[in-house]
Amino acid sequence: MEEVTTKHIDKTKSNRWERIWLLAKIEFKLRYYENSLGLLWALIKPIAHMLIYYVAFKIILSIDIPNYALYLFCGLIVWNFFIEASSGLMNILRTKKYLYEYSNMSKFEIYLASMLSISIGFAFNLIIFIVAVILSDLPLSGNLIYFALIFLILFTFSMGLAMILSSISIIATDIKQIWPLIIMGLFWLSPILFTYENVQEKLPFMNYSNPMAGIILNSREVLMYAHPPDWKLMLVNIGHALIFLLLGLYMVKKIGSKASEIL
Amino acid sequence: MAGEKEIALQLENVRKTFVVSNKTFLSIKDRLFNLHRKNEKKTIQALKNVNLEVYKGECIGIVGRNGSGKSTLTRIMSGAYQPDKGGKVKRNGTHLLMNLGVGFSHELTARENVYVNGSTLGLTVKEIDTIFHDIIKFAELEEFVDTKIKYFSSGMVQRLSFSIAMYAQADILFLDEVFAVGDNKFKEKAIEMLEKSWLKGCTTIMVSHSNALIEKYCSKVLVLNKGKQVHYGDVKEGLKIYDSLE
Repeated sequence: MEEVTTKHIDKTKSNRWERIWLLAKIEFKLRYYENSLGLLWALIKPIAHMLIYYVAFKIILSIDIPNYALYLFCGLIVWNFFIEASSGLMNILRTKKYLYEYSNMSKFEIYLASMLSISIGFAFNLIIFIVAVILSDLPLSGNLIYFALIFLILFTFSMGLAMILSSISIIATDIKQIWPLIIMGLFWLSPILFTYENVQEKLPFMNYSNPMAGIILNSREVLMYAHPPDWKLMLVNIGHALIFLLLGLYMVKKIGSKASEIL
Repeated sequence: MAGEKEIALQLENVRKTFVVSNKTFLSIKDRLFNLHRKNEKKTIQALKNVNLEVYKGECIGIVGRNGSGKSTLTRIMSGAYQPDKGGKVKRNGTHLLMNLGVGFSHELTARENVYVNGSTLGLTVKEIDTIFHDIIKFAELEEFVDTKIKYFSSGMVQRLSFSIAMYAQADILFLDEVFAVGDNKFKEKAIEMLEKSWLKGCTTIMVSHSNALIEKYCSKVLVLNKGKQVHYGDVKEGLKIYDSLE
């Protein structure tokens, strides 16, 4: 019989952040390193979308927006982050059941880890975008720093929404059919393919009802045009983000606590 | 004497009712088309008023026929299920429910699962680094460290799960029929390891159909019959009651 000994372990230190980061890394690896092109997929998707829209809107419809390729790319990477978080985490309470079912890990940590893993892919796209901006001789400025705040808003809003959607999906699976339609609506009502003015002129309330509109507009202002952000819009978006986060936390607490019994 | 000991787990008035509908109308369409029909609901009382205290270092056996609520009870103890209103579960320390393949993601490799599991038990990555080799060695999985566990046999998963629980030193260990799988040699090893951890004061809750195992290791036994707590205390008496249950 072999000798079996256990080392003494001190469990008083909190390892919460380390654990969240560990889960985020593992999820990121699962997402991108399971296929042969790996991390490149994170880039191929927005570029492919960009090409399609470029052909449709610039070449066929001759839309008049300077640097249209970059304009699209900027909107699309922000949009992609939103989609990956909201649609991608819809099933999180099912797929990550093994994490919360038998342990004292909080669900909030599970959401946070997945959001971080999506953020890693986003960071990669962002770097590519900034390199492209530099290569196109567009000006860079200190206003770039504001993107940190815009991203925080995007992150908070998307995470709140992911919590709401995944909670709903436990009690009403219909959400999986409805959500793609809502996304499609939001996509065409956000200034991704056309300018913000187009949207604002015809639908002035869109500023306040579609959080993604303001987030995308402000991202372009600071990343592409070296402008400071539109502070009024930003404030509205902060409101959006907080409302969604609070609602999300509430729903996960209410519905999510029963998830392991229902699923 | 018991009063001096630290309580590891305390259950007060724990009940659990499951509501099961014959047909689950999960989607809106289903509900619309079935407005006239009510969801036929059945309530199943899985647990009826369980009260017990487990002291630190004790090994408690839970016995009962199939469907008597054993698994539901361990799930409530570990926090996976919430008891009905009015019931209270107090836990002291981290805990781990050990059941076949529970707490593992089948998409992850053995290595990743060890780290994720250790981490949810409260260990830091550095601490897991120090015990990682021991865990794998004890589970006899050296050659399969980077294999996804979906390719593992149930025995292999069981071994890994057991090994993590032992080395990560969960304060409360839930063993739900763990010795049903795994070959004899591993069983011997596992029991030796368990005996050692009991000496260190690890609290264990053991669900088993094997009277011999329970008689040998448990200091108290809980007998459940159709969700009712029939007996909690002396092992021999409890097993007698269990054997006389219809």
